[in-house]
Amino acid sequence: MLEVHHVSRSFAQRLVLDDISFIVPSGALTGFVGANGAGKTTTMRIIMGLLNASSGHVSLNGSELSGDTRPNFGYMPEERGLYPKQPVIDQLLYLGQLHGITRAESRKRAMDLLARFGLEDRAKSKLESLSLGNQQRVQVAASLLHEPDVLILDEPFSGLDPLAVDAMSSILRDYAARGVPVLFSSHQLDLLDVLVDHLVIIQEGKILANSSADDLRASQASRHRLSLGADAGWLRDEPGVSVIDLSGSQALVNFESEADSQRVLAKALGLGTVSEFAVHRPSLADIYREII
Amino acid sequence: MKTMNAPWLVVALREVETKVKDKAFVISTIMTLLLIVGSIAASTFFANKSEDFKVVATDQLSYQVLQRAQDQRPENLNLTISQAESAAAKEELNGEKVDAMLSSTANGQEFTLTGFDEVDPQLQDLVSSSMTTVLTDQLLAKAGIDSSQLPKADQLKVSQLQGDSERASMVRAMAFLFSFLFYMAALLFGMPIANSVIEEKQNRVVEILASTIRLRQLLAGKIIGNVILAMVQLLLFISAGLLAAYLAPGEIPFLGVVAQVAGWFVVFFLGGFLVLAGIWAALGALATRTEDLQQSTGPVVGALLAVLFIGIYAKGSFLVIASYVPIVSSVAMPIRLLSGEVALWEPLLSLAILLAACWAVLLFSERIYRRAVMHTGGTLTLRKALKLEV
Repeated sequence: MLEVHHVSRSFAQRLVLDDISFIVPSGALTGFVGANGAGKTTTMRIIMGLLNASSGHVSLNGSELSGDTRPNFGYMPEERGLYPKQPVIDQLLYLGQLHGITRAESRKRAMDLLARFGLEDRAKSKLESLSLGNQQRVQVAASLLHEPDVLILDEPFSGLDPLAVDAMSSILRDYAARGVPVLFSSHQLDLLDVLVDHLVIIQEGKILANSSADDLRASQASRHRLSLGADAGWLRDEPGVSVIDLSGSQALVNFESEADSQRVLAKALGLGTVSEFAVHRPSLADIYREII
Repeated sequence: MKTMNAPWLVVALREVETKVKDKAFVISTIMTLLLIVGSIAASTFFANKSEDFKVVATDQLSYQVLQRAQDQRPENLNLTISQAESAAAKEELNGEKVDAMLSSTANGQEFTLTGFDEVDPQLQDLVSSSMTTVLTDQLLAKAGIDSSQLPKADQLKVSQLQGDSERASMVRAMAFLFSFLFYMAALLFGMPIANSVIEEKQNRVVEILASTIRLRQLLAGKIIGNVILAMVQLLLFISAGLLAAYLAPGEIPFLGVVAQVAGWFVVFFLGGFLVLAGIWAALGALATRTEDLQQSTGPVVGALLAVLFIGIYAKGSFLVIASYVPIVSSVAMPIRLLSGEVALWEPLLSLAILLAACWAVLLFSERIYRRAVMHTGGTLTLRKALKLEV
């Protein structure tokens, strides 16, 4: 488990991270969401040791990380970075060797990863000759080459086509299944909804949520969707009910208690037909919008 | 499992590999090699080349002048003389069997040197001076004076208290060569350090590299890679030059001294280049785009030009001071060593100063590099870079 403990960081007197703490559980995919400028990239750079925290620290499995490199971490920075004029395989070999992997082993792993992304025939092409989506896949391959113990990915899905998103998702799931803590940021909330096990929400340098996706959803589980035969406007006047959304005969409501929900259902049945009365499972996107 | 190379070595090898695969670099190295060997071969060839002239005289007096010319001829000029009737001589000249024909008027006061389509100025000078000598001797004989009693040019002996003039000209030539080699290498191998730092900054590769290995290792690898390239190229040039000079026909003076000082030069070159490499790396880290480098490298290129000119023109106490100033000393001290009269402690002290400077610059550059290389928002000044927090 990767833990961020009370980390603060300011740049020239501007507080960018304000005493943030959260965990990235091992064996789970953790989504990291927040508006642009909320502090996601700074947080990731601090985890990677590229920036120092003004206060606080980061620990892995209970021991504090020190020093300025995390060689056993896999990292994909927000601004992608590889050598555009060099063949794909050459840069992967170079990075592999920097990680202390032999040339032969680096080559084997690089070709495996490229094959996984359907890029094995582009190994000798210069990076700049690949499409942006393919360059991104190479970038991901670069972060996985040394079979990292921790994966930190800044916007790994941005710019990927649907097939590449699937390939990326399955790779991330594989890593999580190995027991590796995986933290990635994304603006694609619908994607996070199906992918992540854990969610961290950051807003203006403060952590607003840090819990498992199921817990987050459960916290909102008292929502119900109603479809009635006639106008549902009377719901607004019911005690113990708060209407979130209402249009004609459709409504999305919050019941204060189970008793309230049963009472309202009975009343609705008395008034006419009820074609739908269901617990509404909120998407993470809904929750995010609610929290922010 | 094979033991793995240290990160700095991986970086250094990549620098070397990239450069060696660069066709422009290989071609320019080969061209320079050919130029060095060629110019040494050419200069010894011309220095030892002798000219052959055949001149025919059409009368006794002209023949006398030619005989005198044979005595007075310089070493690299061979003169074959003969005498023939005017008509036969002309025919020989027409058939280009001789280079020139010398004839005098009946009163023996005017001479004509006739060539086929040109008269070599060397030959003309020689004949003119021997003619003057012959005519002067005739006049002196009439006056009853022995020509050997006349004052002669070689009665003035030239000497100097320090060194000798041949050595001085050798020092000038070598000073030019050392200065030029240093200048070329500093640009040819220094600039790529700055460029590759900027490139990695611009492509953001540095963020990945910095999370993989320490920036110190990255910086060290870049510098060492380029130092290896620069040293190999320098050694190649020097050994080709010395070998060509050694094998060349004719003796090249001071070859022993030059070879010895070349050794010193290699050591000083290494130190001076390391100082520059650190500066180049820091400049690269301060810039954001390759275009910015043009401005920030101005002072360094200026300093290098100063090294070039100090190397070529500095003399006396100015040169002595220069031989202790890091970077400049890389050229100035070897030049002083060439002229001799330098105690052994002098180059050793200068070298110690150079190494201290090296150490200081590399530490300082690492500080700048560490702070500035992750900064992407525009070009930094040195002051701003030092204030940055990592």
